[in-house]
Amino acid sequence: MARNRVAIVGAGMTKFVRRAQETAKELAWEAASKALESCEMTLADIDAVVIGSAPEAFDGVHMKSEYLSDGCGGWGKPIIRGFVGGGTGVFSAIQGWYHIASGLFDTVLVVCEEKMSSCQPHPQGAFITIFDNITERALGPNLLWIFALEMNAYMTRYGLSKRDIALVAVKNKRNAADHPAALLGDPNITVEDVLNSEVLAWPVQRLDVSPISDGAVAIVMAAEHVARRVTNKPVWVEGVGWNLDTAYWTNRDLSYPTYVEEAARMAYKMAGITEPRKQIHIAEPYDPFDYKELHHLEGLLLFDKGKASEATALGITQRDGDLPVCPSGGLLGVGNPISAAALMKVAELFWQLREEAGARQVPGQPKRGVAQAWGDLMQVGTVIVLGV
Amino acid sequence: MSLLERIAHPNQAKVWYGEIPIQSRYTVGITGERFFREIKDNGRLWGTRCPHCDLVYIPPRLYCERCFAHLEEWVEVPTTGRVHTFTVVHLDLDGNPLPEPRIIAFIQIDGTDGGLIHDLGEVDPEEVCIGMCVEAVFKDPAERRGSITDIRYFRPVG
Ligand SMILES: [Zn+2]
Repeated sequence: MARNRVAIVGAGMTKFVRRAQETAKELAWEAASKALESCEMTLADIDAVVIGSAPEAFDGVHMKSEYLSDGCGGWGKPIIRGFVGGGTGVFSAIQGWYHIASGLFDTVLVVCEEKMSSCQPHPQGAFITIFDNITERALGPNLLWIFALEMNAYMTRYGLSKRDIALVAVKNKRNAADHPAALLGDPNITVEDVLNSEVLAWPVQRLDVSPISDGAVAIVMAAEHVARRVTNKPVWVEGVGWNLDTAYWTNRDLSYPTYVEEAARMAYKMAGITEPRKQIHIAEPYDPFDYKELHHLEGLLLFDKGKASEATALGITQRDGDLPVCPSGGLLGVGNPISAAALMKVAELFWQLREEAGARQVPGQPKRGVAQAWGDLMQVGTVIVLGV
Repeated sequence: MSLLERIAHPNQAKVWYGEIPIQSRYTVGITGERFFREIKDNGRLWGTRCPHCDLVYIPPRLYCERCFAHLEEWVEVPTTGRVHTFTVVHLDLDGNPLPEPRIIAFIQIDGTDGGLIHDLGEVDPEEVCIGMCVEAVFKDPAERRGSITDIRYFRPVG
């Protein structure tokens, strides 16, 4: 099947903050207009708009894409909203890709926005109906239960300690200290800080978790003939993949994200990647919790099962290591406005591969990176491979 | 045929009751702050203007949805307008008859390219017509809270 080649040519984002005064539309507009400015394009140059946003309940607005559309540049244009929970940010970039790869459009503006501070008293209230209404809700579950149970299964399977995993939180929050848009960057955080933070649901502690946040991110995608005209540094979409496991989380092996592996295999095949550990130079796996970075690195086939923590301890995943992981600072450090956080990872690869990441720049002129997100009923993996 | 279709009352089927326990706190946003402060403090309406598209937005916007320009030009607009369309509402949200029917209108604000949805007051439903000139009636300053209901209603001019 013939597909048109697609590049990312521009990116922009708002700061990630705890409580934004801006409306959701105003946040979306700020990110979208910055993305357009970054490649000297205007709305008139955009053929279609993809909007990514997670549950309606966060913003407290139903039919959220229609509400957000003017802030996303959708006035008078074809728009579509993608939604696979936490996987949305990467999935929206995938939708932008197939809008262009199919030949339907030449230019697409992809905008992801989340305003979690609207949701009172806490966004956990919005998550409660993701559990099975009949067999689980009667127990009064919250989202932390899933992560705590999954983290414990992962730790126990591979004999990992809390200390092993806390290294991820330390790395990402320190990396985020170099990100101008970050909410929780901290150059001085230590493993002890993580291990001494409040226990939320054992083994999950406060600093193992990313913060709820408000923010928006946008990218501009273009067909090859347009991309070559607007920039001399197009960042090509080389592969995309997504996959869902069973909706019953009690029918999955929680110690390994098979759905991420399946999504990665789809993306690697399209990108012609046969040895991901050699051919991928930067990774931005989804890290809403510190153990999830390790979990996802293994699902992305970048480390053997249970071995990502050892690589972290050896410094391999530091910005100057052999495989920099979350050089942005990730969700743990930059913040976690759900869909925007995952598109931030795609934008980070764009900046890194163009060597425009400033203080966050990884050395060695990286040529290829992978970004991944995860979500829905904790069973979706979305993966994109970018290269120059 | 499903069980629910066969039983006389839904409670005869095994059910679990639950709710989504959230409340939303909506910020009025960057332009909303000024728009509602002017209503509350001064009983005035302000819009923002796009110089490229020559449009005056009310409610005011931070950006032009057509050309994406950042809108920084604020213009005071009249508190008068015309009824673009209207309806007469007889039932409340639960389907119960209202003591008095409400007249709800889309009022095109004079000198702008937009308008507001609001109640019409001091007029009988039979007297309302599309194109009618109306003006905003604000609550007393002490009663205003910085919300769209600081405007009590619009009433016919003259
Ligand atoms: Zn304009």
